[in-house]
Amino acid sequence: MSDRNLDWITFSLYICLVIVGWLMIFAVGYDDGYEAGIGNFFGTEAGKQTIWIGISLVAMIFIFIIDWKFWQTFSTIIYVLAMVLLVLVLFFGVKIKGQVSWFRFGSFAFQPAEFAKFATCLALSSYLSSYGTSFKINRHRLIALGLISLPIGLVMLQPDAGSALVFSSFLIMLFRAGMPSSYYLIGGFVSTILLLSLMYPIPNVLVGMVLLSVIIFAANTKKTLYPILGSIVLAAASYFLVVKGYTIEALIASFVILSTLGYLLWNDRKQRLVTIFYGFLIVGTVLAYSANYAFNNFLKSHQQVRIDAWLNPEKPGSKELYQVVQSKYAIGSGGIQGKGFLQGMMTKLDYVPEQDTDFIFCTIGEEQGFLGSMSIMLLFLMLLFRLVIIAERQRSSFSRYYIYGIAGIIFVHFFINIGMTMGLAPVIGITLPFVSRGGSSLLIFTLMIALVLKLDSNRYHI
Amino acid sequence: MDDRYKDRYQVILALFIIGTVVLLFKAMQLQVFDNKYKTGGENIAVDQVTTFPSRGLIYDRNKKLIVYNDALYDLMVTYNQINPQMDTAKFCRLLDIDKNTFEKNLNKNWRSGRFSKRKPFLFLSKISAKKFTRIQESLYEFPGFTPRLRNVRGYPYPYAAHLLGYLGEANQTVIDTSEFYGLGDYKGVSGLELSYEEQLRGEKGTRFLLKDKFGREVESFNNGDSDILPISGKDLITTIDIDLQGYCEELMQNKRGSIVAIEPQSGEVLTILSSPTYDPKSLALSNSDRGKNIKQMSDDPLKPFFDRSVMSKYPPGSIFKTIVGLVAMEEAIIGFSDRLICKGSYHPGGPGTKGYKCHKHEVQVDIPRSLQHSCNTYYWRVFRDIVDQYGESLPRRGLDIFSDYLNKFGVGLQLGTDYPREGKGHNPNSTYYDKRYGEGKWKSGYIQSVGIGQGEIEMTTLQMANLAAIIANKGTFYIPHLAKSFSDTTQIDKKYRTRREVGISSYHFNSVTEGMERVLKYGTAQNVLIPDIAICGKTGTSQNAGKDHSIFIAFAPKENPKIAIAVYIENGGFGNEVAAPIASLALEKYIRGDIKEEYRQRLEKRMLAKKLIKEP
Repeated sequence: MSDRNLDWITFSLYICLVIVGWLMIFAVGYDDGYEAGIGNFFGTEAGKQTIWIGISLVAMIFIFIIDWKFWQTFSTIIYVLAMVLLVLVLFFGVKIKGQVSWFRFGSFAFQPAEFAKFATCLALSSYLSSYGTSFKINRHRLIALGLISLPIGLVMLQPDAGSALVFSSFLIMLFRAGMPSSYYLIGGFVSTILLLSLMYPIPNVLVGMVLLSVIIFAANTKKTLYPILGSIVLAAASYFLVVKGYTIEALIASFVILSTLGYLLWNDRKQRLVTIFYGFLIVGTVLAYSANYAFNNFLKSHQQVRIDAWLNPEKPGSKELYQVVQSKYAIGSGGIQGKGFLQGMMTKLDYVPEQDTDFIFCTIGEEQGFLGSMSIMLLFLMLLFRLVIIAERQRSSFSRYYIYGIAGIIFVHFFINIGMTMGLAPVIGITLPFVSRGGSSLLIFTLMIALVLKLDSNRYHI
Repeated sequence: MDDRYKDRYQVILALFIIGTVVLLFKAMQLQVFDNKYKTGGENIAVDQVTTFPSRGLIYDRNKKLIVYNDALYDLMVTYNQINPQMDTAKFCRLLDIDKNTFEKNLNKNWRSGRFSKRKPFLFLSKISAKKFTRIQESLYEFPGFTPRLRNVRGYPYPYAAHLLGYLGEANQTVIDTSEFYGLGDYKGVSGLELSYEEQLRGEKGTRFLLKDKFGREVESFNNGDSDILPISGKDLITTIDIDLQGYCEELMQNKRGSIVAIEPQSGEVLTILSSPTYDPKSLALSNSDRGKNIKQMSDDPLKPFFDRSVMSKYPPGSIFKTIVGLVAMEEAIIGFSDRLICKGSYHPGGPGTKGYKCHKHEVQVDIPRSLQHSCNTYYWRVFRDIVDQYGESLPRRGLDIFSDYLNKFGVGLQLGTDYPREGKGHNPNSTYYDKRYGEGKWKSGYIQSVGIGQGEIEMTTLQMANLAAIIANKGTFYIPHLAKSFSDTTQIDKKYRTRREVGISSYHFNSVTEGMERVLKYGTAQNVLIPDIAICGKTGTSQNAGKDHSIFIAFAPKENPKIAIAVYIENGGFGNEVAAPIASLALEKYIRGDIKEEYRQRLEKRMLAKKLIKEP
C-alpha cells in the first residue's frame, strides 16, 4: 500500500479516540496501585490496554499487507466460520453474568460476536455488490435480511441483546443499497408502538396516536387556521387530562374531534389520507394490545423483569438503577469544565460499576465535563462523516457497502453506549468503540477501520 | 447501477447528526442545566448499602420464645476513604485493639484480587452491642469506617441445642451457587435453622445513600423512595414443648441415648433430644469462646455433636415384638387369642434338641400375655411362621412380605421429617440375606432373632417413637415433624398434613394395646405404674458388645392418647431399669404438669442422679 493514499483524517481520528480511551482507563485505575515500577504497570488495566493497542497496530499493518481482494473473495467462508463460532460458543463458552459469550484460552478471552459483526459486514457487502443481486427482486431482499437475522438469532441464544441490536445497524447499509423506504417506515412505526406500549400505559399511547392523527388531519384541511388552533388547544387539554388521570375521557374527546376532522376531509376528497390514518390507528391499537398481552401471558416472570429493567432502567428496584443513577451523578458532577484529569472523585471511589469498560463515558463526563463530552461526541460524528465521504468516493460497490456497514456499527455502538450511561438507552453491555477497555473490542474495531483504510487506498485500482 | 439511491447518503448523515445531537442535549441537560447532580458544588455520590433482614424467631408450641435475635456489629472499612491524618490511637482505644492489629486488619494483600482499596471489606467482626454504642458516637470522626448490623441468635433456655441447630458463615460453595448469600453472611448450619433457612432468613434490602467526597453519608437518596426494604424472616412456631424438652434433657444428664416424644393424633414432635448435648449458647455467634467450644466438642469421645435421635441406628430389642405380632395377625398366621406354650426355652427342632432360652413366666401365652412377659419363644415362632408361610424352602417371599410391612411403619426408610440428617435404620430383606449367605442358602432359623428385635434389624429412636404413635392411633400416623406454623399464613408442607396407613386392620391393635397396658399393670414394667394414668408401654433390652441398652416405648392415656414416647438409653441395662422410669416421668410431667406422689418424686430424684457416663 502506498502511503500517499492513506486517508490521514480517518487514521488521526482513530488514533485520537484510542489515546482518549487509554487516558481514561489510566484515570480509572489510578490510585489502585501504581506505586510499584514498570513490571507492575503491565499488570494494571492501563498496562494491559497498552499491550492491546500494540497488538492492534500490528494487526492493522497486517491488514495493510494483505491484498484487498482477499476479503471479498473469502467473505462467504469468513461468514460461515463466524457463524460456526457463534454456535460453538453456546457449548464451549464460559458463562459470565448469565451470558455464554466468551471463549477462554488461558488468560486470553475472545468474543465471537465481535468477529461476527466484521464477518457479517464482509458477507453482506459482498452479496450486495455481486453481479445479479437486485433489490427489485423480493428473494434478494430476503437473503440480505437473512444474512443479518442468522447472527442475531445466534447471539440471542447466549443471550446477548446488545450484540443483537448492533447487527440491526446493517439496515443502514441496506438502506443505502436500495432497500425500499416503505420497509423502514413500517418497521419504524411497528417498533415504536411496541416499545411505547411496553413503556407506558396503553391508553396514553393511544391518546398520543390519535392526537398525532388529529394534527396531520388538521394540517390537511382547507380552512387551515381554525382546525390547527383547535387541535393545539385539544392537544394541551388532552395532555392535561392524561396527567390528571382522566386518560379514557381524553381518548374519547380526542377521538370525537378526529372523527369530525375525518368527516371534513372525506368531503374534501381526501379519502385516501383518512383511510390510511384510520388503518394506522387500528393497526397501532391492535399491536399495542397484543404486545402487552404477549408480554404478560407468554413471557416468564424473570423475562418480564428483565425487559422491564431494560426499558425503564431508572425504575425503583431495578438492578440497573444503581448503575444508571451513579453514572448520571458522575457525568452530571463534571459540570461544564469537568474536575480535571485524575481528579474525578467518583471515578476514584469506584462509584460506578464497569467504569473502564461499558461505562467509560462517565469518567470522561466527570473529569472533562461537558466540553469533554462534547469533544468525544464530535470526534465520533467527524469519524462517521468521514466514513460516509470515503464510502461515497469508492468505485467498487463492495468497498462502499463495507464502509457503510462499519459506519453503522460504530454509530450504534456510540449512540447506545453513551446513551445508556445517561439513562437514554437500555443498559446492554456494548462498548464505546476504541475507547472502552477490552482487547477483543479494540482489536476488532481496529481491524474494521484498517480494512476501510486499505480499501480506500486502493480505490483507483479497479 | 445504484446511482438511483445515491441521495440516500443524506438521510444517513442526517441520522448520524440527529443521534449525536440527542446525546449532546442530554449531556448538556445533565452537566450544564440540571443542578441536582452537583449540589453545593461538592462531590456527592450515591452509594448502595445492603440492609440485612432480621431473622425469624423460633417459638415452642405454647408460643414460648426459644430463639431470639441478638445484635452484633461488624466494622467495615473502605481503604480509599480513610483520612490519612486520623487519630489512630483513639480509634484503637475505642475498639480495644492494639496498633498491630489495626495495621494488620487494614493493610490487606491488594495484589491477591480478593480486596480492593475502593470496596468496603471487613475490618473487625463481632463487636458486641454494648461496645458498639461506645464507638458509635465517635464514628463520624473516622470516615471510611461503616458499621454493619448483624443478627445473631440468643437463647433463653439452655436446652434443645440439637433440634434448633446453629448459625455459621456461608462457605464459598454456597456463596458461588446461590444468589442470596455474600461473603460473611450467616446461614443455618444444622437443625431447624438449616431445615427452615429459606423461611427464617427473609430477604435483603438495599439502601441508597448520598455520600460526600470523603465517603461520609450525607442523607438518603430520593428520600428513601428508591430503597428496597429488607423483608424480615418468618417466625417459626415449632411443635416442641420446651418444658417437656427441658425436663427430659435434665433426666438424661450423664446418660447416653435419646428421647423422642410425639403427639400421636398430629405427628407433632413434642420433644426430641440426644444426650450428651450442649448449651445452645456455647455455639452462638456472639460467644467469644465459640471456636474453642466447637473444637472441644469435636474432640470429645462422647460426641456431643452426634445426634442420636435420628442418626443412630439401634437394635430395637423387644419393643419390636409389637410389630411382629401385628403382622402375624394381619397375615392370619395367628389369632389374637391363640396360645402358644413356652416352658422357658425354644426348641425349633422339637423336644430334646438344641434350645434357646426365654425367661420364666406363665406357660400359655397369647398376644397380650406374650407382650406382658416379653416372651421370646412366642415371637421366634411367630416370626418364623411369617417367613415360612409359603413353605420352609421359600423364606424369601415370606420375609419380603414382612419387610414391606416394616417399610410402611417407616423402618428402613427415612420418614421424611423436617429434621435434617435423618437416618434410615436397617430393614433386612431377602436381597440382603442373599448377599450375606448366598442365594437360597438361608432359612428362617438363621434370622429368627429379628423376631425379637435383635440381629440385623435396626431403627432410629424417631422411628421407635413413631411406632408408639402408630399403635396409639391404631394403624395410622402423620410423618413426625417439628414445624407447626409460621407467623404469616404459610402452611407447613402438605406431607405433614397427610394421614398415612400402615396396612394393618385397626382391630388388631386392640390386643397389642391390651398387652402394652398389662406390661405396666402386671408385666415387665410394673415398677413405673402410675395408678390414675393408663400408660401402655413396652420394654426392650438390647444385647450388644457392652452392657445392654435399656429401651422403652409408650403412649398415654390409653383412650385418646396425648403423647407417644420412645426412650433409648445406651448401656442402661434392662428396659425397666432406666428407660421405663424416665419415660414414665416424662409422660406424667406432660399429662399432669407435675410429679405428684412422693414415691414418684423419689424415682425422679434417683433418675436425675443416675450416672451412666464415667467422669473423665
